[in-house]
Amino acid sequence: MATTATFNIFSEISPAFSGITKTMTLTKAGTLNDITETTGYSRRKLASTTPVDLITMANELVEPNDNTAAKVFIANVGSPSSGIDKTTHVTISIGDTSGTTQEVGRLYGGDWLMMPVTVVDDMDVVATPSTDDVVVLEYVMFFEEG
Amino acid sequence: MATTTANCTINSDLLQPNLNASKTSILMKGGTSSDGLEFMDMGYIEVATGTNFDLLNADNALNKDKANKVYISNESTDETYYVIITIDATVIGRLYAGDWMFIPWGAEDANADIEIQAYTGTNKITYAYFHENRTLTSA
Repeated sequence: MATTATFNIFSEISPAFSGITKTMTLTKAGTLNDITETTGYSRRKLASTTPVDLITMANELVEPNDNTAAKVFIANVGSPSSGIDKTTHVTISIGDTSGTTQEVGRLYGGDWLMMPVTVVDDMDVVATPSTDDVVVLEYVMFFEEG
Repeated sequence: MATTTANCTINSDLLQPNLNASKTSILMKGGTSSDGLEFMDMGYIEVATGTNFDLLNADNALNKDKANKVYISNESTDETYYVIITIDATVIGRLYAGDWMFIPWGAEDANADIEIQAYTGTNKITYAYFHENRTLTSA
């Protein structure tokens, strides 16, 4: 079965837009060989506006192979008590909480992302909630062993 | 309200039991649960090697710090082809032939362009940008 990710989007914005459906099989960089490593599907509860490393590249138990075909999926699933809140968000950035980071964008309640990452040390995935309210992120990274 | 719905389904046999995850998001304007995104741009381009290009410019203040979403797909078929996606000089990652990405885009300042550079050969790229507004320039 390997690892696949399917994207579907449908929109009423333009009558001319019929939607997009796209499936990718996650492979090692430059090959047709299946990707072999994952962090596993994880869940983390945040309750502060302090930036945190959601994924610290230097701390992976299996050393990732830098600058290959790694992918990260993150979903803002809201709060266990109050559910999804579309008025608050978690800013996702790339970098290091003790250094500089580059914002990717805001994941509002219920939003998700799938993006490639370099897995280079200190190019971590950083999450910064917009409020001190409890918010839960679910995430998984797929990568190559270095 | 224009409704836009985005779904991601992941299946993987790297975990036991196998991972089967699916998430669906209704794309709303930033900070609201009642007003959907109302604008979109979509394109198909061929990106030659050798130059880092701006794919999307962050010079529209109307979309600064909003709930914009960007889809990029590498439609190339040679598995050795890839593009590097960058935001404001920070490399996000590589999209190899057949790969896609879907991200929120903060467009937090005029330097936060989404940039693309092709490697190995000319890459074929589909992109779509869902956002809140656009300022048309006078003819």
